[in-house]
Amino acid sequence: MPDVNLTIDGHKIAVPAGTLVVEAAKTIGIEIPVFCYHHKLDPVGACRLCLVEMTPGPPRPQTACTTPVAEGMVVKTQTAMAVQARADILEFELANHPLDCPVCDKGGECPLQDFTFRHGYPTSRIDGPRLHFKKPIPLSDKIALDRERCVLCYRCTRYYDEIAWEQELTTDERGVQSFITSQFEQPLKSIFSGNIIDLCPVGALTSRVWRFESRPWDMTHTASVCSKCAVGCSVTLWQRRGQLVRVTSHENDDIDEGWICDRGRFDYTDVNDPSRLRTPTIKGARATWADAINAVAGGIKGKGAKLGVSLPQDITNEEAFLFRKLLDGPLKGAKVKMHGRTAIPGPANGSRAQGALPESLMRIREIDDARVIVVVASDLEHDVPIVDLRVKKAISKRGAKLIVVYPDSVDLDRHPGTVHIRNAPGSAAAEVRKLASHELLRDPGGPVAILFGDGYGGEDIDDLASACGDLARKVGGKEMALYRATNERGALAAGVAGWDKLDGVEALFSWGPPPTAGIPKSAKFSASWDHLPRAGHEAAVVLPATTFAERQGSYTNLEGTVQFLRPPIPVPAPLKEGWEVLCELAAALGLHLDYAGVVPIQREMALQTPDLEPAPPPVLVGPAHP
Amino acid sequence: MNSPRTKSVPRESAGTPLNTALSAHVLDEIKELPAKYPQPRSAVMPALDLAQEELGHLTPEAMTEVAEALQLDPGYVEGVATFYSLFHLEPVGRHRFYVCTNLSCMLRGANEIVDHVKRSIGVERADQVSADGLFSFEEVECLGACEFAPMMRLDHRFHYDLTAERIDALIAQRRSSLPPLTPALSPEGEREIAKPKRETAKPKGEREAATPKKVTAERPRAPRKKKAADG
Amino acid sequence: MAELRGSHGDQPNHILTRWFGTPDLHKLEVYSSKAGGYTALRKALVDMAPADITNEVKTSGLRGRGGAGFATGVKWGFINRDAPGPKYVVINADESEPGTSKDRYILENSPHLLVEGILIAAYAVGANQAWVYIRGEYDEPYRMLHEAIEEARAKGYVGPKPLGKDYPLDIRLYRGHGAYICGEETALLESLEGKRAQPRSRPPFPAVKGAWGRPTLLNNVETLCTVPWIVNNGGAAYAKLGTEKSPGTRLMSVSGNVRNPGVYEVELGQTFRHVIMELAGGPPEGRRVKVFWPGGSSAPVLPESMLDTHTDMEALAAARSMGGSGGVIVMDDSHCVVRAAHRLLKFYAHESCGKCTPCRIGQDWAVRTYERILAGEGSQVELDILQRVSDGLQNGRCLCGLGDSGGWVIDSTLRHFRDEYEDHALRHECNVGKVMASA
Repeated sequence: MPDVNLTIDGHKIAVPAGTLVVEAAKTIGIEIPVFCYHHKLDPVGACRLCLVEMTPGPPRPQTACTTPVAEGMVVKTQTAMAVQARADILEFELANHPLDCPVCDKGGECPLQDFTFRHGYPTSRIDGPRLHFKKPIPLSDKIALDRERCVLCYRCTRYYDEIAWEQELTTDERGVQSFITSQFEQPLKSIFSGNIIDLCPVGALTSRVWRFESRPWDMTHTASVCSKCAVGCSVTLWQRRGQLVRVTSHENDDIDEGWICDRGRFDYTDVNDPSRLRTPTIKGARATWADAINAVAGGIKGKGAKLGVSLPQDITNEEAFLFRKLLDGPLKGAKVKMHGRTAIPGPANGSRAQGALPESLMRIREIDDARVIVVVASDLEHDVPIVDLRVKKAISKRGAKLIVVYPDSVDLDRHPGTVHIRNAPGSAAAEVRKLASHELLRDPGGPVAILFGDGYGGEDIDDLASACGDLARKVGGKEMALYRATNERGALAAGVAGWDKLDGVEALFSWGPPPTAGIPKSAKFSASWDHLPRAGHEAAVVLPATTFAERQGSYTNLEGTVQFLRPPIPVPAPLKEGWEVLCELAAALGLHLDYAGVVPIQREMALQTPDLEPAPPPVLVGPAHP
Repeated sequence: MNSPRTKSVPRESAGTPLNTALSAHVLDEIKELPAKYPQPRSAVMPALDLAQEELGHLTPEAMTEVAEALQLDPGYVEGVATFYSLFHLEPVGRHRFYVCTNLSCMLRGANEIVDHVKRSIGVERADQVSADGLFSFEEVECLGACEFAPMMRLDHRFHYDLTAERIDALIAQRRSSLPPLTPALSPEGEREIAKPKRETAKPKGEREAATPKKVTAERPRAPRKKKAADG
Repeated sequence: MAELRGSHGDQPNHILTRWFGTPDLHKLEVYSSKAGGYTALRKALVDMAPADITNEVKTSGLRGRGGAGFATGVKWGFINRDAPGPKYVVINADESEPGTSKDRYILENSPHLLVEGILIAAYAVGANQAWVYIRGEYDEPYRMLHEAIEEARAKGYVGPKPLGKDYPLDIRLYRGHGAYICGEETALLESLEGKRAQPRSRPPFPAVKGAWGRPTLLNNVETLCTVPWIVNNGGAAYAKLGTEKSPGTRLMSVSGNVRNPGVYEVELGQTFRHVIMELAGGPPEGRRVKVFWPGGSSAPVLPESMLDTHTDMEALAAARSMGGSGGVIVMDDSHCVVRAAHRLLKFYAHESCGKCTPCRIGQDWAVRTYERILAGEGSQVELDILQRVSDGLQNGRCLCGLGDSGGWVIDSTLRHFRDEYEDHALRHECNVGKVMASA
């Protein structure tokens, strides 16, 4: 469709048809303040803050957030009527709003503050007692609610209902007595709850983890990648005085669309744990790096299959690349086990692992265009939460149909149109093969998305992968393999995503946390690169590790996009980067690896695995404003 | 403001039949509701109505059971229940005087009627129930019978041209446990239902709201299923 | 039969109420045999094309009787009958506007009149299912309407082949549970969908995306009850009554300080003096009309000096008021306007849904300001706040008319009775006689 021409405050612009007036104004830097409007939620025109004059239109102000542009429209945001309407609405919003700015965490990144300065009256005509609520109310152990600050924009409850398909957060009562509450004041349970903190335009919903930690202007931040699962959401990491103080979304429309799950948002406090390991130790005694690395080398050298190597779910591509060299060289024959893996094999292209998966796996953003989505052998909400949200969006906002093949109930069942085939565990492939003749897939009317997991080990994964591939070809679909570990695909591509049992090994080298089953009893020697003290360290050689907030490197997410970590915190001395440690270890093992930094490693990797496509840098969006 | 009704709901206990707040037949009726509407969520209002009819008011347990029966989150049901004035989340006694005090009734003495009701049943506020558990009152907005002002709604019927004497008679009748009056014996001015209670098969879910519930003053409501822990 | 307080019997302007008072009019046999019931349905289904029915309604000039007064035929025309998929007719029987009891009057006297009107409308706009949203407090009207629908179903008027026509028609009932805001069209639709009743932003309008996302015709009870007469007698005949832009008759509930409160059918264009002083008998002995609300509490007030205002929409607009719901509330000189306004603002504050900022905050702010004034703690500041709130509630600031209504109460009472406000706010006294216990 052709662009639409309109005039805003005298400026003639052309924007795509369907653009809302409030967004059109943004394109030329005109701020029309909004509370209830959020670009990822359906507009409601509730707060009335965005009233502007529009012609053609009635002789009354109209809400810019609900009105799409029309050819020849004339919008005026600075007439007396519009200016006064805006100021009046702000005055109303402030009528019951407590004077909490000095103690409110939102201060400094607060739209209410900013809009009041820019659009409100310098004084208020309100006097008299304000409405009071008990505050703060813990909505969960992570989120606090302050009902007095709440401006009832309903972003939080609308987000819950529209995006997460849940209603454990609700509005009670009516009129001025309305308040936000969790259902029957039970703690919020949803893994999607934390996004309401970012959504809230005032300090009503705040992070209890970050409470009173810092003012926004005292922090610096970087745009990085979440390290908790294979989706690889873009996150903003905020640091203050060398501590990671909070995690927010960094809106990447290709992957997360501005949402992150609570694992990514809140599971970072280990970075600041005072018991972080600071120096290498050998059997509990402080040692130099050189001594410690030599001790590690001595303990793992020449063990062949009697060496066990445990790799973390968030091993970087660069570390994996170096491990491959070690495993092809001095550590040849070692058993390797990676945390958190699914049973899904790696894609065939450029990978050392065996696999039957085709070259063209789906990108997350392609879920948007699917007409039918098939989810097999996975509980998306649990495994890849943000992909779950994307699927929900496709169904409720874009009219896609959904078929679920899974033994138990999943949250996608909440949609009345969901077709849920409850298969007996182990029979997922058979059910998938039947789907080609399902009425929804006979004429899907567009692309079909087939998302499959490994059924937590309960399915024959090769059979299932093959069945999904067949179905994709028959119905015009694309598949997405639902890897779980953060860098499962990167590790698979490097050939280090091991699946071996570690019982019976005589030496164990844990890169990251120890195996979930614990250090094997047979291991007489144990070495770790870890960031927190654990049981067993007193008998081992321990090298202090960086966390995702300090390390450089990249992850490959489940769709194959390579994304670069951008740590906000420099590696604190005397810690070393992981790749550096591996190079020194290699040297001690007699393998010469000489890299000046992480970039040369990446260059070499790119030459060897040409299909790994680096991601374009995510679009920068301001941290707090809509 | 802060809802005092929000005590925590032990969800784990809401499953077994003997421990449900709502009786099995009401829950069954609720489960059949969603199919009657173009979209299932529409069933939440009639479902809450059924629950309130059985229990007198809506408890968190009842609302949670309604939610489960409709496959909705309890928070959703809570949000709907707290929005509408006819849903009561506190005990309301057996007979609630909904006295209109909006303009037309106010101009014809509704405030004095309210004062009289309060005195006669012995409460001060709308969130209180009389000591014998029988009565409560509420000042309500226009009930759509302004030509009969001052008027009120009591036990699913409208009562018109109220006076202190009429209020006294209504209270006395309920206190003395007399059965409800049949049409032939209605005192002047009390609007009776013109028909006896009908036997027509009604579609499930659409309640006969006008006939008073089978409960009369002396016959107690079906007792709540006693929980094992009840002392 | 219950006591009739209002129009009934054979009068030239008794379009709706002609047969009210007939014993057992609520029974189908009586409605059919004595009141000519269901002849319009027969004519519409058997002899007319749907577009013809809509045209008759357009010709009649009938305007919505719920409050907005939108041209009914035009509204019917917004529904694209040929669009695929289900469409709905939704009947607004939520009647909660203070001073309004006309729909209750119709439902208790002649529920079949509504049934017939619904069936004709559904056929005209291409809907097969109608939903009556009826306020929860209307126990008796609900029961009577339900009975009437079942009688019509037994007779085959409601069902798969009404009068042999291959066009299924069904009527369902949905009870409200106590929220005045459900009288607003889109809030009603939200409530019908089982949600908290908060109005929607428009567009899209219900004719495009209404109940459960489908094209929907929403009409008031009285509006639809007028349709059978229009079908039987033609739109032109209806247009001959009333005024050119407000044709026909409407039911006006008259209440408050009048001797004969009741629901009176009035030919539009008559004066309020006729309605209040003649039909309703005027105020009690020794009292004068001080102020009246011409169309429910949401219509800006008119003082006694404007009793000769005509009842049509245009005359009311010129008088800076509106026809609204036709609920005429009359207050005599023994009552205080400030107290009355306070009570009405309490109503709006209580009924505000809370979605939009100005209504949610403004109504409550006004109530608290009135309370300070009435407690003798007022000053010019409070009067200025009332004016500021009133301005902040009007002129498109709010998402729906509930907000404006609160503003109009303040604005119109301040305009016509400033001296009473100043007595209270500036002089801390009330110079009106005490409220009497009964009229």
